[in-house]
Amino acid sequence: MNQPGSSNTYGGGGGGFMPQPRQEMEYICADCGAKNEIKSREPIRCRECGHRIMYKKRTKRMVQFEAR
Amino acid sequence: MPDGSAGARREPTFDTLKREENFRNPSKTGSAYPILNEFVIPHLESFNALFDDSGLPKGDGDGRGLLSLGIKDIGERVVFDGNGQIGTESGQSGWGNRMSIWIEEVSISAPRVQDKDTWSTERRVYPAEARERLTSYRGRMQAKICWKINNKEHPDQCVMRDCGLVPIMVRSTRCNLRALPAADLVRRHEEPEEFGGYFIINGNERLIRYLILPRRNHVISLIRPSFANRGPSYTQYAVQIRCVRPDQTAVTNSLHYLSNGSAMLRFSWRKQEYVIPIMLILKALIGTSDKEIFEYVMMQDYDNTFLTDRVELLLRSFKMYSLYTGDQCLEYLGDKFRVVLNMPEDWTNQALGAWLIEKMVLVHLESARDKFRMLVFMLRKLYAIVSSSCCADNPDSPQHQEVLLPGFLYGMIIKERLEEALNQVRNSIAMDVRRAEPPVDFLDKRYIAKIIHKVNWDIGAKMSNFLATGNLISPTGLDLQQASGFTIVAEKLNWQRYISHFRCIHRGAFFAELKTTTVRKLLPEAWGFLCPVHTPDGSPCGLLNHLSRTCRIVTSPLATVHIPALLANHGMTQAFTSHVDGTRNLCVQLDGRVIGWARPAVAQQLANSLRIWKTEGKHKVPLDLEIGFVPESKGGQYPGLYLFATRARMMRPVKYLANGKDDSIGPFEQVYMNIAIKPDEIEDGVSTHVEHAPTNFLSILANLTPFSDFNQSPRNIYQCQMGKQTMGTPSTALRHRTDNKLYRLQTGQSPVVRPRLHNTYAMDSYPNGTNAIVAVISYTGYDMEDAMILNKSAHERGFGYGTVYKSQIVDLKDMRGASKSTTAPALHFGLSYDIRTEEGDKQHSCCQFLDKDGLPRIGAKLSASDPLAAYVDDTTGRTKFVKYKGDEEAIVDEVRLLAGDAGDTELQKLHVTLRITRSPVIGDKFSSRHGQKGICSQKWPAIDMPFTESGMQPDVIINPHAFPSRMTIGMLVESMAGKAGAMHGLAQDATPFQFSEEDTAIAYFGEQLLAAGYNYYGNEPMYSGITGQEFAADIYIGVVYYQRLRHMVLDKFQVRTTGPVDPVTRQPVKGRKRAGGIRFGEMERDALIAHGTSFLLQDRLMNCSDYSTAWVCRTCGSLISLGYDDISLGQVSPSGSIQPTGPGGEYCRVCRSAAEEEDERARQTMATGQNPAQSPRAEVAVALPASNVLGSSLKGGDLDVVAVPYVFRYLCAELAAMGIAVSLEVR
Repeated sequence: MNQPGSSNTYGGGGGGFMPQPRQEMEYICADCGAKNEIKSREPIRCRECGHRIMYKKRTKRMVQFEAR
Repeated sequence: MPDGSAGARREPTFDTLKREENFRNPSKTGSAYPILNEFVIPHLESFNALFDDSGLPKGDGDGRGLLSLGIKDIGERVVFDGNGQIGTESGQSGWGNRMSIWIEEVSISAPRVQDKDTWSTERRVYPAEARERLTSYRGRMQAKICWKINNKEHPDQCVMRDCGLVPIMVRSTRCNLRALPAADLVRRHEEPEEFGGYFIINGNERLIRYLILPRRNHVISLIRPSFANRGPSYTQYAVQIRCVRPDQTAVTNSLHYLSNGSAMLRFSWRKQEYVIPIMLILKALIGTSDKEIFEYVMMQDYDNTFLTDRVELLLRSFKMYSLYTGDQCLEYLGDKFRVVLNMPEDWTNQALGAWLIEKMVLVHLESARDKFRMLVFMLRKLYAIVSSSCCADNPDSPQHQEVLLPGFLYGMIIKERLEEALNQVRNSIAMDVRRAEPPVDFLDKRYIAKIIHKVNWDIGAKMSNFLATGNLISPTGLDLQQASGFTIVAEKLNWQRYISHFRCIHRGAFFAELKTTTVRKLLPEAWGFLCPVHTPDGSPCGLLNHLSRTCRIVTSPLATVHIPALLANHGMTQAFTSHVDGTRNLCVQLDGRVIGWARPAVAQQLANSLRIWKTEGKHKVPLDLEIGFVPESKGGQYPGLYLFATRARMMRPVKYLANGKDDSIGPFEQVYMNIAIKPDEIEDGVSTHVEHAPTNFLSILANLTPFSDFNQSPRNIYQCQMGKQTMGTPSTALRHRTDNKLYRLQTGQSPVVRPRLHNTYAMDSYPNGTNAIVAVISYTGYDMEDAMILNKSAHERGFGYGTVYKSQIVDLKDMRGASKSTTAPALHFGLSYDIRTEEGDKQHSCCQFLDKDGLPRIGAKLSASDPLAAYVDDTTGRTKFVKYKGDEEAIVDEVRLLAGDAGDTELQKLHVTLRITRSPVIGDKFSSRHGQKGICSQKWPAIDMPFTESGMQPDVIINPHAFPSRMTIGMLVESMAGKAGAMHGLAQDATPFQFSEEDTAIAYFGEQLLAAGYNYYGNEPMYSGITGQEFAADIYIGVVYYQRLRHMVLDKFQVRTTGPVDPVTRQPVKGRKRAGGIRFGEMERDALIAHGTSFLLQDRLMNCSDYSTAWVCRTCGSLISLGYDDISLGQVSPSGSIQPTGPGGEYCRVCRSAAEEEDERARQTMATGQNPAQSPRAEVAVALPASNVLGSSLKGGDLDVVAVPYVFRYLCAELAAMGIAVSLEVR
């Protein structure tokens, strides 16, 4: 865990030696339901309708609880 | 009636299919439950009334909104560029140029996205977005400010000023949801039944609560001993009138009776009270002679010496002012009030006096003549109450009350804020004129515009603040008795609680701290207007009421200009007639204006005719006109015919017997009516009206209690409380809600036994409980003292299973390390390089819960202190975590990424909905709908539950002792009705007042049970689940609708052995949140002493609290004089003697210093040769531990360890600080 943790060099592109922090995630617009790929540090805005709320998608990983 | 109370045959069905169809395909044209839109009308229409395009009928006015009327009333502010000295260059009068500034118009627009947002396809903002983004639902307000110089208007001289964003009431004319049908509401993420009436402030729904105010434009007489304390010669008698201007702002005028026979008019201006002799006002109003005033007040009643004496005194006492004409009076008034009023300097005293009277005296009337007549009426009423020919009116009675409506209050505040801003503009120009650097040029438009822009016009922020806090910040006080507590949160705990918010009405915060309880009294006058059942018990009891179900509040203006002429045509003597005989005529008033006089018989006739006209719609008499005919009586209410057509009055529908038409009656007239509850109670010649339904006097919630007429009344009050605390269905748009905490019942059912109104108020769309098989039996002992036993299998089938939704907001703006600048945030959601995300052993533990964007995974199960979100600090480059605080396991239900207002900023704010499962556990609270609450004490295994002959087991067992003292027969009837309904598939009607002595509920449902093959009375033989033997008694078993209340042990349990302590006293802290203890107080201590349980006492009060050990000096008994010597090398005192210490080197500092002093004195006496002392004990210093030296117990070394409460040591130290020594005796 002792990597040179500096990320303030990231202005726009997403270059750098490790692409890890510029994650691109898919969210769902709260208004029109469109899927939006939003990179971190990009404005939260729907590409289809310009809406200002996004929902996170349900994870594809297995979610398992003990049913008690 | 849309509620089905008109008596149409009711189908005994649950409407399951219809309801499902409604849910699947919400109506595209309207609402499925129109009554829900009806009961918030006072909220909505009072808000709509602010605007010119309100859609309300015009009434007598020109249809202008309250804001327009308000800015008209504000008028203009005047400023001069001269200094007031004649002869300078400032012109002839010395004032120079006269500039007047006024607000031309004000507009508020619907909420829209910002203009810089160019990408949004939908420009309107909907309430759901405000809720989800935790912002306010606001529209832009703009004001057009104009000015003119020396009365020359110029089209150029005006600017538009932005007044900020003003919160908009949902579903009002300015709301984007206005009049949308159910289907569109669902599309906008609202409930299909959304009815609005509230504001959204920071994501919370807040509403302005109704408040009871004195009835407007009506003179009430008061006898209050406190009035006598107002000054010398004041008495306890007064009359009061709350006058309301067309813009709904009010001024209260009181007329005090002085012991010398005269009267003083009291009003307040900017929270400062002023009193003026009534004669001054009377004369100033119309320049009239003393004789005329005498005649007007006497009204030919010359035999009444009481009156003649008083009026004579009134006239004589005014002689000392030496004011003879009306103009002199005005001038006098203007002179006295010039400084206070702050009006233009060039106004004459006379103009100021006229202005004062116009603005402060009987402001509901425009013409001076009307004001004069009304003042004379007030004077006559005052003398009547002094002479005891009439009684004092009760200001706590709804007869003399009306309602402060949300929109009207909102308008008042906006008006006052606008006035303040305008005053500020005036003042800052005046300041510049006075400073004269540079000299002010009124013709410079840029300068004026600059000043207008410099002044704070942000009315939106002030309105948001008002709604968010409920605090009224006002220089005038708005003629209200309180300054805070106007708004409440509309909690969506369940549907019942939510709709109750919109019907609740508060008496006023002032009365809450009143020691007398008269204001809380339930008065017969409130019948049909305020519900007698639906009020909380405890401190707000009787102050916080709820409107009865059919009670409406008039919000639309009525047209009544033609009514005086109409009445005059039917025998009323006109008001301007001279020589009316006051003894034989009654005053006829319309909205606090004297419109004429009539003999009592004629007045009675007029009242009857008006009622027939208004019910039949003749002569354009509006139905909502209130016709208060007060007949003559001996010492009763002051007689007269009082007509009310103003807004904000409570009205309710009843049937008028004379013509069988619907009538609308108010609380003022109801007192003098005979209203039969049921048609068979009508008495010929007595009853004038009959109720539409006997349940109409109950509130919505009280109406929903089944068979409430069978219950003892306090139990119905309890049910109204508990219905609002039930874990039910708060909303059908749960996904779009961001409330702090939501309780949801997963297994809600439609009750088998329900009143008719259950369907009317959409209760089935928001189920509030579960039908349970309830056996009334004392079984196992676990149902003692209101405990109830839950069938474990019923629990496993989902009985009462609930969920709590909690909101967690993560705002990086508030985190440590956030940059102050708004342009580039320093914190960002996400994971930095210091977190290993690749799968494997080295993966950081947070990856179990978080995705790579630093946000929690939906469906992740969080325990205490698990990461909820991760963010990176740009300055350090390290990842920080937001932890989940909470003891319970929570599941991430929804993660919302919230953008800024314009949608051009990166993610800084996060809303996470957490779901916490709450299956019923021992200690959870349940209740039936009859105020019968109980705690679940056991989940009893199904095999051990008692069973009936058909093999049925109860879901719930309650103890028969719950009934005799509480007398909730309604619950027993519900049990029978539920059982029969379940067997026959009927939705049983449980509307109260349907059965009678002849036709009993027991017989009705008993027959049904018989038909289903059950015992007539609902009891059955049952068998013990443990032994299998039949019980000696038959057990009462049936179906009762059970509610699960939100009070759950998981939120309440508090237990600790040791834990956090208070740093000062070292006693345990209090509070569940801080893992504190529960106080074991002195009464509990007494109990333990009485029981002789000394070990327990020691354990509770000492060992588990602030146990500590302390050194105490055996010699002086001090606890606080401990000192330590380093005893590793035997201590040697400066004098060379061995200091006495304890085994650990401890010694008493007090005693040692005393001993040293004594030694010193002894040495001195020895040195001077007197009284030779004994040989010194120890001259030799030995390097031995002090304990080994024999006879070391010298003074100062004799200490002992004792166990004392730490707080006792603290007490000793505090006492020492006050110079008090505490000495303990050690034995």
